[in-house]
Amino acid sequence: MEYIVETRNVSKKFGKEIAVKNLEMKIAKGEIYGFLGPNGAGKTTTIRMLLGLMKPTSGTIQLFNQDLAQNRIEILKKVGSLVENPSYYPHLTAYENLEALRKILGVPKKRIDEVLEIVRLSDVANKKVKGFSLGMKQRLGIAGSLLHNPELLILDEPTNGLDPSGIIEIRELIKTLPSQYGMTVLISSHLLSEIDQMATTVGIVTKGKLIFQDSIETLRRYANQSISFTVSESKKAWQILISSGFQAELQQKRILIQDCSDSNVAEAVGVLVQAGLAVYRVEEEKKSLEEIFLQMTKEENAG
Amino acid sequence: MIENLLSSDFLKIKRKGFWLLAFLGPFGVVALQMVNYGVRKDYLLQQSNDDWGYYLGNVQSFTPLALVLGIAILTSFMASIENETNAWKQLIALPVTKMGVYLSKFTVLACLLLFSSILLMVFTLAFGLVLDLGSVVPYLDIVQYSFYPFLASLPILALQLWVSTVSQNQGIPITVGILGFILTYSAFFLPDWVIWKWPSLMNDANEPVQNVLLGVGVGCLLYVVGMIDFTRRDVK
Repeated sequence: MEYIVETRNVSKKFGKEIAVKNLEMKIAKGEIYGFLGPNGAGKTTTIRMLLGLMKPTSGTIQLFNQDLAQNRIEILKKVGSLVENPSYYPHLTAYENLEALRKILGVPKKRIDEVLEIVRLSDVANKKVKGFSLGMKQRLGIAGSLLHNPELLILDEPTNGLDPSGIIEIRELIKTLPSQYGMTVLISSHLLSEIDQMATTVGIVTKGKLIFQDSIETLRRYANQSISFTVSESKKAWQILISSGFQAELQQKRILIQDCSDSNVAEAVGVLVQAGLAVYRVEEEKKSLEEIFLQMTKEENAG
Repeated sequence: MIENLLSSDFLKIKRKGFWLLAFLGPFGVVALQMVNYGVRKDYLLQQSNDDWGYYLGNVQSFTPLALVLGIAILTSFMASIENETNAWKQLIALPVTKMGVYLSKFTVLACLLLFSSILLMVFTLAFGLVLDLGSVVPYLDIVQYSFYPFLASLPILALQLWVSTVSQNQGIPITVGILGFILTYSAFFLPDWVIWKWPSLMNDANEPVQNVLLGVGVGCLLYVVGMIDFTRRDVK
């Protein structure tokens, strides 16, 4: 497999505090890599190291199979980024802000109009950024990161400060990038629901350590399913199910069964009906990704 | 690459009053003499046989102050453009070297000061001619009095740029600027090795060129030291 980003044993210390520890991140071409973790877990530090803004204390970073420490300029020509809060020059217009970047990147002027069109800021191109809302500034930042058609796009919390329609817009935009432009995207967030809707691969980091890195499907498989029954006399029902050999669990007024196969559920319903109990609801319960995420980060904290 | 950075930096200083400030400095210095000669021209002309020389001396007494103050304000402004929304992280994540970024900032500032020096020369000559100080115009002296202080103040520029780019708190470079201003004001009493004395072109040997050479030399040195420090640091 061709990896666009590959870090080996990367650590970063600030004084005595360890921000990132032995990070082994791998991002394959064409993926949307969701980089997930609670606030202060080391996401931004990792991203800053990937962009060469900070030097790792130890370990090596390879982008496009080139060493970042040696080929920084060559690599950054192919990388677009938006780190944390959007940076802009408030006294300049949106167009001039992009022009300041374009001059350095050396792409044709018409790219500015194109990217403004993509993030739908064409109408305010000649207004000063000072008066923009946070969402507009964020979109301007994304426009800047797309200017040179990068092969790797690194977005740190890109939906921060956006309203719901803005979030959906940006999400749809990011989803189309790999297929339309062949980009690989690294997107960080502390919101799992965000990542869930976009990412193909997920990396979860907490306290500077990468505790999970695999496809989103694998993460979803962690979501153990169970069937919950709501019946008229739950305690009695539970006893009946146990004595009939089901692995059942009584939770307040509900009964949970782990084995979700069709035959098993049908059998359980049959037993309950035959016992003369009224079955109100039979529902499938999924542990949300949110819960898995919390559980994973908690386990890590306990260990 | 450096041309691109420069052209980008010149775009960024738009609408920030940099050029106006670069104009106001030399204009203010000559305007003070307009007041001075406007009020007591006859008295001033009696003070010396060399009216042009005496006039240039008067102009030169304010040039270092304007220059040092201008450097402090311009460098602080320059850094604030990137500091305001922490645009350093965006700038340095572009395919540029940190050395290039630093060189570009320094060059823009040096260009602005050079522009001021040219204006100073024009204003000095023009008002001198208006005053009708004599038929022999000392062109060479005017050029020297306009550009020597700028060259002699390069170490101050390098130092201020260094301090303002690496300080998170812009109070620090401003404090350094104010201290420098006070030192320049008391240049007469300072020993020759203090960099804030150099723009006044005074020294024990009474040789202005010495200050110019020292300024360029030490300026380059401080520039390199500042640049290396800037490259070494992590971008927050």
